[in-house]
Amino acid sequence: MPSITSVNIAHLHLLLNHVPTVGAVVAVGLLVMAFVRRSEPLKYVALEVLFAVAVVTLPAYMTGAAAYQKVRKMPGISDAAVRIHQDVALWGFTWMEFTGFLAWVALWQARRLGRAARGLVPVVLVLSIVSLAVMTRAATLGGDIRHPEVSTEESAAFAKIAPEDFMAAKISDVMVNSPWAWPASETVHFLGLSLSFGVLLAINLRILGAMKQIPFADVHRLLPWGLLGFGANLITGMLFWVAQPRQYIDSAPFYWKIVFLTIAGANFLYLTVFRRAWADTGGAWTASGADKAMAFVSLFAWFAALYCGRMLPFLGHAF
Amino acid sequence: MIGLLNWLESLSLSVWVHESPSIWAQPTVLTLHTMGMGVLVGASWVLDLRLLGIGRDVPLSAFRWVFRAVAISLIVNLVTGVLLFMARATLWGTAFPFLIKILLVIASAATLLPIRSYVLRNPDQREVSGNARLLAIASILAWSAAITSGRLLAYTVAG
Repeated sequence: MPSITSVNIAHLHLLLNHVPTVGAVVAVGLLVMAFVRRSEPLKYVALEVLFAVAVVTLPAYMTGAAAYQKVRKMPGISDAAVRIHQDVALWGFTWMEFTGFLAWVALWQARRLGRAARGLVPVVLVLSIVSLAVMTRAATLGGDIRHPEVSTEESAAFAKIAPEDFMAAKISDVMVNSPWAWPASETVHFLGLSLSFGVLLAINLRILGAMKQIPFADVHRLLPWGLLGFGANLITGMLFWVAQPRQYIDSAPFYWKIVFLTIAGANFLYLTVFRRAWADTGGAWTASGADKAMAFVSLFAWFAALYCGRMLPFLGHAF
Repeated sequence: MIGLLNWLESLSLSVWVHESPSIWAQPTVLTLHTMGMGVLVGASWVLDLRLLGIGRDVPLSAFRWVFRAVAISLIVNLVTGVLLFMARATLWGTAFPFLIKILLVIASAATLLPIRSYVLRNPDQREVSGNARLLAIASILAWSAAITSGRLLAYTVAG
């Protein structure tokens, strides 16, 4: 089996970095069309696309640091151009994840209550336009790194910013130099993982045959708590990553962890919206073989992500 | 006491966990301990949330699997925890923060006993008594404190 770090991660960044912008254009287009046509199903498709884009934005962001390592020693690469791209991309990432989160809330409500809360989907539309704008800016700045022929006088202005004034550098400074920031984030990361684990365990065990007597809708009720745990871990995990990217960049288990988290994220969307369990209004729905395979993949992805994360100091070189 | 700790640490199993470069030694034991933690605390929290009113429609009897998950993960963490302790017995055995962590884990696990008997006594119940709610809150807080104290050992004792 080829090692995951032998895949050209920088190349992967050039592939994945199109997803946040192009994906957001598609999602915004679908949402606008859904409003024009007053089509509820189309609205939910747009929200699903938006959530999927938010999931893929994670590897798109992560692979960027590896790309930076590849190009930083090359002649004609401006360090400031990379740093400003990273800062704007970090904003874009934050907006995109928040948008994806609200899109998920709308989907969850639609599944449970038949429709999303009034006003929520328009808010998601506005947020996705903001995310798209910030991501487009990040993409433009990213293009400037390797295409000096299209960059403007702006680049000269960025070069004047002191390296320690960039947002990523400031986050790194607090995380590394504060005596409590890193330990506190690690603690939250462990609390969050336990919460996600418990919820995903309950839901997947229901699919696999435990708690057969209760309707799937009742365990579905727990999903927001799972997302709360995951959200806490996304935030603290990003703090570790932005603060000390070099701990993770050459680390095979780190990239595997991102792979498993992407699978777990896609699975989470599936658990939220899939229809078969809801068709049976009597409640005592029995999972099909495909549903059980899905539950198995979900549990495997969560355990594997934890394994890769906990093994980072041993298989990789994080502390 | 220190003689006992020294003896524990000198056992070949302890030396292997502590010093072997093998991925199956310290790294795997520690990872299993973390997985056990996720299942143990996560499953407990799911039941606590139910007692506090999340998923009110689910009869308590549906949560029997929680006790099986808790029992399995408790055994995993007892075994891996003892191994991790043995590997550095003189360090952990003399560290006050470690004592706090162990007491918090015992307190958290102890909340499960009255919760379990409540669930088994009231299998079809939807509404939960005030005392059971208090137990659920105590369980959530105690596990949070146990994880916090355990995670911080890496900085207070072993750092």
